[in-house]
Amino acid sequence: MTAPDPDIARSGAVESSSLESKPAASEPVVVDKTGRVRDRRHWNASLVAGLILTVGFLLLAAVSLFYLPADPNLPAVRDRLLPFGSPGHLFGTDSLGRDVTAQLMLGARTSIYVGAGGALLGLIFGTITGLAAAASGKLTSETIMRGADILLSIPGIVTALVLAATIGAGAETTIIALTIFFVPSFTRVIRAAALRVLEEDFVTAARLYGRRRLFILARHVLPNIAGVLIVQFTLYFAVGILVEAGLSYLGVGVSRPSISWGLMLSEAQQQVGISSPLAVWPGMAIVMVVLGLNLLGDGLRDVLDPKLAKGR
Amino acid sequence: MSTNDVLQVRDLVVSRGRLEAVRGVSFTVGAGQRMGIVGESGAGKSLTALAVMGLLPAGWQTSGSVFHDGVDLTRESDRALSRRRGRTMSMVFQDPLSALNPTKRVGVQITWVIRRHTGASQAEARAQALDLMTQMHLPRPESLMRSFPHELSGGQRQRIMIAMALACYPRLIIADEPTTALDVTVQKQVLTLLDEAVSERGSALLMITHDLPVIAALCDTVAVMYGGRIVETGPVDRVFQTPRHHYTRGLLKSQPTMDNIALDGSSRLPSIPGMVPPLTDMPAGCAFRPRCAASTDICATMPELDDGHTSVACWHPIVHAAAGLSR
Amino acid sequence: MARFILRRLTFFIGALIVSSILIFLMIRLAGGNVAAIVLGKDASPTAIDALAKEYGLDRSLPVQYLEWVGGMLTGDFGRSFRTKESVADLITSRLPISIPLSIAGLVLALIIAIPVGTYAARNTGKPSGTLVALLSQIGIAVPVFWAGVLLSLFFGVKLGWLPTGGWTPWSSSVSGAIKSLVLPTLALGLVMAASLSRYTRTAVLDVMNEDYVRTARAAGRTKTGALLSVGLRNAALPIVTVLGLQVAELIGGTVIIETVFSLPGLSRMILSNVAAREVIVVQSTVMLIVAFVMVVNLVVDLLYGLLDPRVRVAR
Repeated sequence: MTAPDPDIARSGAVESSSLESKPAASEPVVVDKTGRVRDRRHWNASLVAGLILTVGFLLLAAVSLFYLPADPNLPAVRDRLLPFGSPGHLFGTDSLGRDVTAQLMLGARTSIYVGAGGALLGLIFGTITGLAAAASGKLTSETIMRGADILLSIPGIVTALVLAATIGAGAETTIIALTIFFVPSFTRVIRAAALRVLEEDFVTAARLYGRRRLFILARHVLPNIAGVLIVQFTLYFAVGILVEAGLSYLGVGVSRPSISWGLMLSEAQQQVGISSPLAVWPGMAIVMVVLGLNLLGDGLRDVLDPKLAKGR
Repeated sequence: MSTNDVLQVRDLVVSRGRLEAVRGVSFTVGAGQRMGIVGESGAGKSLTALAVMGLLPAGWQTSGSVFHDGVDLTRESDRALSRRRGRTMSMVFQDPLSALNPTKRVGVQITWVIRRHTGASQAEARAQALDLMTQMHLPRPESLMRSFPHELSGGQRQRIMIAMALACYPRLIIADEPTTALDVTVQKQVLTLLDEAVSERGSALLMITHDLPVIAALCDTVAVMYGGRIVETGPVDRVFQTPRHHYTRGLLKSQPTMDNIALDGSSRLPSIPGMVPPLTDMPAGCAFRPRCAASTDICATMPELDDGHTSVACWHPIVHAAAGLSR
Repeated sequence: MARFILRRLTFFIGALIVSSILIFLMIRLAGGNVAAIVLGKDASPTAIDALAKEYGLDRSLPVQYLEWVGGMLTGDFGRSFRTKESVADLITSRLPISIPLSIAGLVLALIIAIPVGTYAARNTGKPSGTLVALLSQIGIAVPVFWAGVLLSLFFGVKLGWLPTGGWTPWSSSVSGAIKSLVLPTLALGLVMAASLSRYTRTAVLDVMNEDYVRTARAAGRTKTGALLSVGLRNAALPIVTVLGLQVAELIGGTVIIETVFSLPGLSRMILSNVAAREVIVVQSTVMLIVAFVMVVNLVVDLLYGLLDPRVRVAR
């Protein structure tokens, strides 16, 4: 399993730099005392590229709900291993004659279902525990964070394997495994972000007014950490896709008639030497989508930077 | 402009892309002289100091020249500059907690400077460092040496920084808001210390601050900066008692003193109307024009700061009754 | 410092206990009647009971847990149901594969990532820096198994230089063993290098902008000198921290790589045992892995305490 993002560091701090871009000429620029220039909100290359790739991916999956060029599970032995660009089969066919394009589209759906599903559940539970850790007394807060530390010591793949053995393999199991994997990381990040907001003066003011803790959390903290939530969700969505692909490759994820890009790669590997292209398409699809989501997440983070940065 | 001068800055411009933060600054600091640069935040004071030392952050360029020790520092390589920094010219920064290396003991940080520039042995450097720390009135130097910065108080940390800056008897010390981050009670101690140490070594001091009383206490001459330019310069007494630039006067008037504060709370502190324009939006000509009561059309072109001992960059400088009495 | 160590050790032991309970429960509760599953549907009830008795599966859960833990502490990790081999033997036979692979992969990743990350940090804003940052972005999007598959296709099938899979034991041929490990290490190392270089870049960037780097230069260090001796040394702190987390990721990567290249390592053993419902084997192996990760994290934390004096004071 991969946890590709730098902000899953122990302190829960958030990275504040990404692919560089110059501010637009008309944008307000602030020069602080030490001569460092702070750029305000602006569109950046990362955001745009990420948005294009991600939206393209989502559209592909959406289209697959209504239209598929062919049945992805229907073998047609006569039409085996057709190359890229064959009539009727844009990406060719696999070793059993099944249309690759349709499989790719269906695989996109699986990736969204599992990846976003796991990230979303992780977000929900992680927010609850993260906020609880931020707003509670020392003991509860310490317990939650230690618990998160322990969970982080268990490699995600191991959890997934164990779950697959006990509950059985499949998309839902992967989602559960992902949730377990994401919750501690989310908890960390959200707790850090929430603490920053809780230290703000307006929260102290609210407390002095007599607002209850829950109210403060819901009305003051949550809206202010929304940016963090969105960025983290995007990045973990990407992780979820990678994990789902990996598990399907190993055989403990989804299996036919469901399709996953990882599954396609596993099948393609058995055709080693005979048809290399089959091993390329699903992999490239994964790379493009994960790249798109990561770029999007980084781009969003830069836009929301004033709120997320470590307060330089 | 004698060869005795420790620092000579000519038409210094510090910019980042199209943004000019320092817009043509010139001044001279003589040997053993103490000059203060005063101005509000964002006036370009710190950047000027950093430009002199060659320590501007990435992305900033300079033009103009900075003469020190016979060479133009702006034409020197970083390697050549690094041999001067800490030895012939040194700097004391504003926040000693973030300016000191948190993972190194303070004693080592001092001995490092000594060894870097004098080739002294570890034992010799340690002895010198202890000596310095005693001069800085730091208690129990032998044990304090082994402390880490976060274990010391703000005042102690700043003294360590000053010790590092003075260790090699530099000809010029630049102090950038050295006491701003300290408690008021500690500020005076540290300033007195700095005063003594600088005199004792015969070094020149370039003090950068927004705090006028500090300049009054420590400096001989002062340069007032506004909007990236020097608007007035001259001996401290003259400038503070008979300011000729309108900004300088406004600045002085807005200082709370026992005279302009009535103890019954009835007085209002005068302030300069308006705000400092953002760097991206500087007016043409005199930057102070939009806020100046005496501005006229001619102020849209930049007045020159006439060079020399006491000068002001203004088309309509304030004239005082017994004016012209410069030292 | 001593108090810091004590606190950390206490947490370590507590974490071990808690995770052992978690693992035990996870595996046992969802497993159903283990003996029945192992023997299959057609087994007789007597056979099932006999097996259950033999492996202590008929006792209550807490008792089974304590027996398991007690066994592990004395070196007895249990036995496989099917083959009767001791788990300890099974594990030790796989270690000569998994350990070299993991270490080599990590070392390769570090060798690539630290210079690349530092370079990217120094050149932020410039085209060269952006290019490197982009490359590492692509790198982290590459699934580890795809990298493996592509490498094996290219170097194994197309060029025929290296084996596409399979394992030559050290005992039969050292060079053969090394050859079998080259591609897997490459796949593992390259992918890890991508994410590690991003961490490095962030850490170095953060440190580069710190005031004390500027002070170091004001005291006489050159730009490079300040970056390397002051900056990098302080950037080492977050990087060291990250390494601790990366261990968990490393194990995950090893699992996949061993499958891609058909290496009979530890992770594949888990896979097959999971499929065969070998409860005791999986339990002990997982516990061992988790304990290992925790030990690494403990070492990392203590190392951090050694390197950064601020941490020792209070949490």
